Amino acid sequence: MTSKAAIYPPLPLPNEMTQFFWDGCQARKLMILRCKGCGRYIHYPRPVCNGCLSTDLAPAEVSGEATLYGYTVAMQAFHPYFADKLPYTLALVELVEQAGLRLTTNIVDVPEAELTTGMPVRLVWREVAPDLVLPMFTKAAS
Amino acid sequence: MSDNNRVAAVGVGYSTTGRRTGLTSRQLAVQAAMAAMTDAGMTPQDIDGATMLWAVAGAAPPGLDVVDSMDIAYMLGIGPLNFWNSGAGPAYIGPAVQAVAAIKAGLCHTVLSMRVIRQRLTTAEMLAQDTDANPEYADDDRQFVMPFGSVAPLQAIAAMPAQRHMDLYGTTEEHFGRHVVAQREWASHNPDALFRTPLTLDDYFASRYISKPVRLLDCDYPVDSASAIIYTTEERARNFAKKPIFVESTAFSSVKYATFENLDDIYENSPVHCAKTLWSRTDLKPKDVDCVQLYDGFTIIVFQWLEALGFCGRGEVGPFVAEGHTAMGGSLPLNTDGGACNVGRRHGANFCIESIRQLRGGESGVRQVPDAKVALWANAVGPFSGAMLMTSE
Repeated sequence: MTSKAAIYPPLPLPNEMTQFFWDGCQARKLMILRCKGCGRYIHYPRPVCNGCLSTDLAPAEVSGEATLYGYTVAMQAFHPYFADKLPYTLALVELVEQAGLRLTTNIVDVPEAELTTGMPVRLVWREVAPDLVLPMFTKAAS
Repeated sequence: MSDNNRVAAVGVGYSTTGRRTGLTSRQLAVQAAMAAMTDAGMTPQDIDGATMLWAVAGAAPPGLDVVDSMDIAYMLGIGPLNFWNSGAGPAYIGPAVQAVAAIKAGLCHTVLSMRVIRQRLTTAEMLAQDTDANPEYADDDRQFVMPFGSVAPLQAIAAMPAQRHMDLYGTTEEHFGRHVVAQREWASHNPDALFRTPLTLDDYFASRYISKPVRLLDCDYPVDSASAIIYTTEERARNFAKKPIFVESTAFSSVKYATFENLDDIYENSPVHCAKTLWSRTDLKPKDVDCVQLYDGFTIIVFQWLEALGFCGRGEVGPFVAEGHTAMGGSLPLNTDGGACNVGRRHGANFCIESIRQLRGGESGVRQVPDAKVALWANAVGPFSGAMLMTSE
C-alpha cells in the first residue's frame, strides 16, 4: 500500500481560523490566537474570546517555554505512520504564558525514565513531512 | 425528594452480544427491544416514545446499516410516537435521560430507550485499509492532535489522565490491576459475561501495554450489542410484570467542546460537575448507595467517577480500590455484572440494566447485593457525561 497514511502522519488541513498557526510553524514561530481586549490566549482557535466575548483577536508569538502536564508512552500504533515510530511520547504541555493553555505534542530526546509530570520543557521544531514542521518539546535546562 | 411525577424502569433486554455476530443493526435492535417488552410483560401498544443512539465501536467498515428510533419503533408495531430522538448525549445515558425527561414533561408516557453498537474493525484491519481510522488528513480541531500521534481514543481519554494521576497522587499500576481483578471476580459469577475466568495480579501485569500505563486488560471489549430499557410513569408502572425501579435523580454535564486532549483538567472534568448536580437533586448521600455501576471503557474512568461522586477522597481512589471496597464482599459493590471489560461494550446500558436487576432483587445469583435499595450508574467522561440514581422504593 502506498497510501500517504503510511509515509506521513495525518496531515493538518488548515482552515480560515487555523492557517496562521501552520504558517507560523513553517516559519518556526509558535503562534497562538490572543484576545486584544483582555489578553487571553485562545487555543484551539475560536472566533470569540470566551473570557470577555471580544471578537478582536490576533495571533501572537509565545515563548515556547512550558511544563509537562500529561503524557503517555505509546506502545501500539493506531495509524500506519507510527508503526515504526514506537515507542513515542505523546504529551500535553502547558505554556508558561497562561494557566491551562496547552498544546498536544510529542516529547523528543528525553529517556522515558526522566519523564515526570511538571518538568520544564522547551520548544524544538521537527520536520515530519514536506512543508510540515511540527512544534515538539524536549527537556529544558532547569 | 418528594416527587409525585416519578419515572420508573419496567423492562430490560439485551440482544445476542459478541464479536462478529453476523447480525445487522436492525436485527440487534429488534432482539433487545423484544426482550425488554417481554421482560415488562408489555405489548407494542403500551409504548409511545422511543430514544436511541446508534454507533460503530471504532472505525466503520463500509456498508454498515444504521438504525434509528423511528425505524425500530415501526418495525415492532410501536406508534404513532409522541416523542422520539436518535442522537445527542454521551452513549446510553443520552437516550436514558431523554426518555426520563420526556415522560416527566408529559410529552409521552412510556419510552423504549436503546443503545445499539456494531462491531468495529480490528486494529490490524484498520491499519491495512483506507478507513476513517486511517486518515491522510486531520481537519477541524483534530489538526492539533492527530499529527502528533493522538490517534486512538484511549491515549487522551485514559493513558494521559492515568499517568497524571500516578504522578500527582502516587497511584500505582497495581491499583489499576486490583480493580481489573476485582471486576473480573464479579464477571466470573455472571453467566452473561463474555470473560469469566478469574484473573490474578500476575495476569494483569502480563497483559501488554497499549499506551502506558494502560494495558489491554484496562480496556473494554468492543462487541455487537443492543440494549433496551423501557421507562414509564409511576402510575402505569404498577400494571406491568416486574417490580418498578424508580429514577431518583439524573444529571448531564458538558464542560467543554468535544475534546479529550484539550480539557481544562484532564482528570477532573465533567463527572465532577455531573456528580454535584446529581447529588443536588436528591436527599440521598453517597453512604446510602448499595451498589454502583461506573462506565469502564478504561480503568481510569472508574477511578475518576469514584472520586467525583465522593465515594473516596481526591487522589485516594487507588488505595480505596486496593483495600477491596469495590470487590465482592466489599463496602461498595462496583460493576457487579463484571463491567464492559467483561460483558462487552454496551456503552453504559449494561450499568443501567444491572442497577435495575440488583434493585429488583433475585436476578443476580451470588452477585446479589443484600437488600439493595439504591443504585447509581454513570456513563462517559471527559467533556461530557451523565449519571442516574435509582431506587427500589
